[in-house]
Amino acid sequence: MDGMELIAFNIISNVGTAKSMGIQALIKGREGKEKEKEAEKLLEDAASFLKEGHKSHAQLIQEEAKGNKQEISLILMHAEDQLMASEIILSLAKEMLYMQKEINDLKNK
Amino acid sequence: MKKILLVCNAGMSTSILVQKMKKVAEQKSIEVTIEAMPSTDLSQFWQSSDVILIGPQIGFMKDSIKETVENKIPVEVINMVDYGRMNADKVLALAIDLIK
Repeated sequence: MDGMELIAFNIISNVGTAKSMGIQALIKGREGKEKEKEAEKLLEDAASFLKEGHKSHAQLIQEEAKGNKQEISLILMHAEDQLMASEIILSLAKEMLYMQKEINDLKNK
Repeated sequence: MKKILLVCNAGMSTSILVQKMKKVAEQKSIEVTIEAMPSTDLSQFWQSSDVILIGPQIGFMKDSIKETVENKIPVEVINMVDYGRMNADKVLALAIDLIK
């Protein structure tokens, strides 16, 4: 398998897992106050997967900046698409979990 | 013949994995049909398949996919490392294991 395809898949599987965990965190948050810790842990782990994906992507950009032209393929664009989506979903999920926590507190009042 | 369905967001990354799995199946002379599909098409087409594997990027949909298929066939998330390395061997082995 050629290098670029492997890099793209590495990005997709890392950021994809991160995205999935972000959504799972929100679902956990909805389950109530006692699940909030689990939800936070999911978001924490998601952040580290996102970072891994970013690392692979950054390496590509750095290589190109050094003058080593990188081959662009549709699968790489797809990986970048997933990367962006995960980044947005995780930043929003973080804020939404705050909101969910307030909702949970209000429900318990 | 048994049919394996791989599902992800757009059916794009899974279709590359499917190509590799088909090669592995051919080499090992395992008779299976393998297909990739975006999650949105699943509700129309799952009936003809025997197992569903989902990409780690939609792992959170496992429960809703199980509901879609009315729990009639096994549904499993592909291990993130196997997916990232496109380890077709392992993914195929997982699918065959689930069918049994």
